[in-house]
Amino acid sequence: MKTALIAGIGNVLLGDDGVGPYVIRLLESQYSFRENVEIVDLGTPALDLTHQIAGRHALIFVDSVASGDPPGTIVLFQKADMLREMPAQRVDPHSPALSECLLTAEMLGAGPEHVLLVGVVGECYEPGRELSAAVRRSVEPAMATILQELDRLGFEVEKRPFPVEPSIWWDTQRSDPKCSCPSGT
Amino acid sequence: MAKRITIDPITRIEGHLRIDVEVENNAVSNAWASCTMWRGIEKILRGRDPRDAWLFTQRFCGVCTTVHAMASVRAVEDALKLEVPLNAQYIRNLILIAHALHDHIVHFYHLSALDWVDVMQIPKADPAAASKLAETLSPWTRNSRNELKAAQDRVNAVAASGQLGIFTNGYWGHPAMRLSPEVNLLAFSHYVQALEYQRKALQVVGILGSKTPHIQNLTVGGVANAIDLDSQSALGMAQLEMIRELLSQVVRFVQQVYFVDVCAVAAMYPEWFKIGSGVRNYLAVPDLPLDSHGSAYDLPGGYIRNGDIAGAKSFQTASDPVFRQSVSEDVIHAYYQGEKPLHPWVGETEPEFTGWNADGKYSWVKGPRFNGEPMQVGPLAQVLVGYAQGHALTRKYANLAIEKVAAISKIQVTPDMLHSTLGRHAARAIRACMLAELAEKHWQLLVDNISKGDYTVHNQPVLPTHEVQGVGTHEAPRGTLSHWVVIEDEKIKNYQAVVPSTWNASPRDQAGAHGPYEASLLHTPLARPEEPLEVLRTVHSFDPCMACACHAFDPSGRKIGVVKVL
Repeated sequence: MKTALIAGIGNVLLGDDGVGPYVIRLLESQYSFRENVEIVDLGTPALDLTHQIAGRHALIFVDSVASGDPPGTIVLFQKADMLREMPAQRVDPHSPALSECLLTAEMLGAGPEHVLLVGVVGECYEPGRELSAAVRRSVEPAMATILQELDRLGFEVEKRPFPVEPSIWWDTQRSDPKCSCPSGT
Repeated sequence: MAKRITIDPITRIEGHLRIDVEVENNAVSNAWASCTMWRGIEKILRGRDPRDAWLFTQRFCGVCTTVHAMASVRAVEDALKLEVPLNAQYIRNLILIAHALHDHIVHFYHLSALDWVDVMQIPKADPAAASKLAETLSPWTRNSRNELKAAQDRVNAVAASGQLGIFTNGYWGHPAMRLSPEVNLLAFSHYVQALEYQRKALQVVGILGSKTPHIQNLTVGGVANAIDLDSQSALGMAQLEMIRELLSQVVRFVQQVYFVDVCAVAAMYPEWFKIGSGVRNYLAVPDLPLDSHGSAYDLPGGYIRNGDIAGAKSFQTASDPVFRQSVSEDVIHAYYQGEKPLHPWVGETEPEFTGWNADGKYSWVKGPRFNGEPMQVGPLAQVLVGYAQGHALTRKYANLAIEKVAAISKIQVTPDMLHSTLGRHAARAIRACMLAELAEKHWQLLVDNISKGDYTVHNQPVLPTHEVQGVGTHEAPRGTLSHWVVIEDEKIKNYQAVVPSTWNASPRDQAGAHGPYEASLLHTPLARPEEPLEVLRTVHSFDPCMACACHAFDPSGRKIGVVKVL
C-alpha cells in the first residue's frame, strides 16, 4: 500500500515558526484521512525525522521558510530542490535538517518518490507570539495546496460533515502586537 | 601568534552552537562556546496554570521533548508536595528509560561515530574478514558477511554516484582517522542498524505516551494511562507485551553492539583518554524513583569537586536541599541584563544583545553554577558519582567496559582516565547498559504492581493560593535538567529551566572560570588546524544540544512555485 505523510514542522512557542503545526491541526479538524495517510504535528524534529520519512511513497511538509519573499508568501519546493542542500558538519542533534534526513533515507534505499515542502514565509519568531496576520492569511491557501497535492497523487480525503474543534492550545492571543524579536530572527 | 578558528557551520538553521578556538603551535590555546539564539521561552509561562506548563515546556526542544515535560510536572508536584502513585512512577520511568536509550544510540552512531569512522575507507574492506573480526567481539547475530556486504554496497553506491550525499563534508582521509577498513565497515553497518533500534525505543515512548514526539499522557500528580489488563484500548497485557518485546530488542542492541563498538573505538584511539578533560567538577541528581514520595531511586546522584572521586557527596532525593540551595545562573558573559548570579526561583531572562565579544558578552547561554563553580553534567558525571558511591549497577558495567577495552587492546583503563573525551563516550555506553537493564526491571515492577490489583495512576493536585516554590529534576541523557517554578494565586509567577547543555556549554563566569566545553578544548592537539576534527571529537563527546530550535527552512535551492496571498 502506498503511504503518505503530511507533517507540520516548527516550534509552536516561537510565533510564525508554529505555522506548520497550526495548519496540521486545522486539517485534522476539518478533514478525515484514510489509513494510508498519516497526518502529524512533528514539532522540531531532528534525526527522528529519518524514520518518519523512510519507506513512504509521498511526503508533504508544511513549515516556515526564510526565502526572502514577503511574509505570508507560500513557496513550494520539491525533492530535488531539497536534496541540493548539502549537509554541513553535525555539531548538535538539531543540525540534521529536512534535507539531511531525506539524504539518509535515500542512502538507505527508502527515500520517498514524491516530496513537497509547502513553505510559509514567516514574519516574527518571537517566543509566545501567535501567528502574524500575514501568516494567518496564508493558512487557508497552504491547506488548499496540501489537499491539491494529495488529490494529484491519488490519496483520498473527505471533508468532515461536522468539523471538530482544532486543538491549537498554544495560540492564546496573549502577545503584544508589536514584534521586537531580540535575536533579530 | 595565535590564530582563531570559528566553527559555526549551521548557517541554514537559526540558533546553534558556535565554537571559537585560538590555535598556537598546532594546539588549542583558548576557547569560547556560544549559542547563537535567544532562549527566552520561559517568560511565556508566567501567568499560566501550572498544571498546563508541561505542554509548553516540552516544546522547548524538538530532540528532548519528553524530558522537559517530565521535569515540569515534577517541579509542580514538588511545589504542591504531591505524591505520585507507583504505577505512574513506573510508567514515567519506562518512558524516560526508552527515551534515553533512543537518545544515546542516536548520539553515538548518527552524531559522533563519523568523527572516528572513515566512511571512505569502507570500499577497501573485506566483508568476510570484518564478519570474522566481529565474531570475536560480540554475539550479535547481525554481523554476517551478507549483512556487512549490503552495508558496503550502500557506501559504494553513494561513492560511485560522484555525489557524497549524506557523507558530504566529513573529514575523510584526515590523519587523525585510524581504524582499519574492516572496523570502519562494522561500525557503519551498525550506524545503519542503529536507525532501526532507536526507532523501536521511540515506539515504546509512543505506546506509553500516546504520541511521540510530544507525549500526551502526563498530568500533574501522575499519568493519564487507563490501566485495564483485558482491554485493547487501555494499557493492557497486549500493549505491555509489545513494550517488553521492543525493549528486549533495544536492550540487546545496546549491550551487544553499542557498548562493544564504544569499547572498540576506545581501544583503538587510547590517546583520547588523555585529551578533553576540562572541568573536573561533576553533578548528577538521583532518578528513577521507586516509591510514591521519592525516597528511593534506582540511579544515584551527588557531586564531585576537582576530580576528587573519594570525596564525592551524595544527594538523598531528586530535590535535595543542597541542590535546591546551591544552583545559580551567571550572566556576566551572556546576552542578558543583570550583574549578580541569581537563583533560578528569582531568575530573570531579559535580553541584552551586544554582539560576539571575546572579553565581554558572547553567548545566549547563561552560566549555571553550583556553589559558584562550573559543573560538568552528563553520563560521565552520572557514572563517576555512582562509581564513587559504590553503586552496584554502575560498577558492574564500568568494570565490564574496562575488561572489554583490555581484551581488545591490552590497555588498562583506570577510573582516572575517564576525565577525557573517550571517558565521556565510555560513560554514556556504560549508562546505556545500566538503563537497558533497568528497562526490564521497571517493566516487571509495573506488571507486578498492576497484578496486585493496584490500578491507581493519578493523585488530584490542589493549588494553594499562597506562594509556593518547587524544583523538578530529571537526570536526562545529556545530564542534570531542573525546572524551577514559583506559583502564586494558582498561577505561575516565575519559571526557569536550567538545562544540561547550559551547564556544559556555559560561558565564562564572574571569576573568569571557563565552562566545561571551553575548558575541555584547551591543549587539544590539531593535526590540521584547517580541518579541526579533534575539536569536534571533544565537543561531540558531550552530546551538545542547543537552543531548542527554530527550524525555518532556509533554502538555497530552487523554488518551484510562489503562491501570492492577497
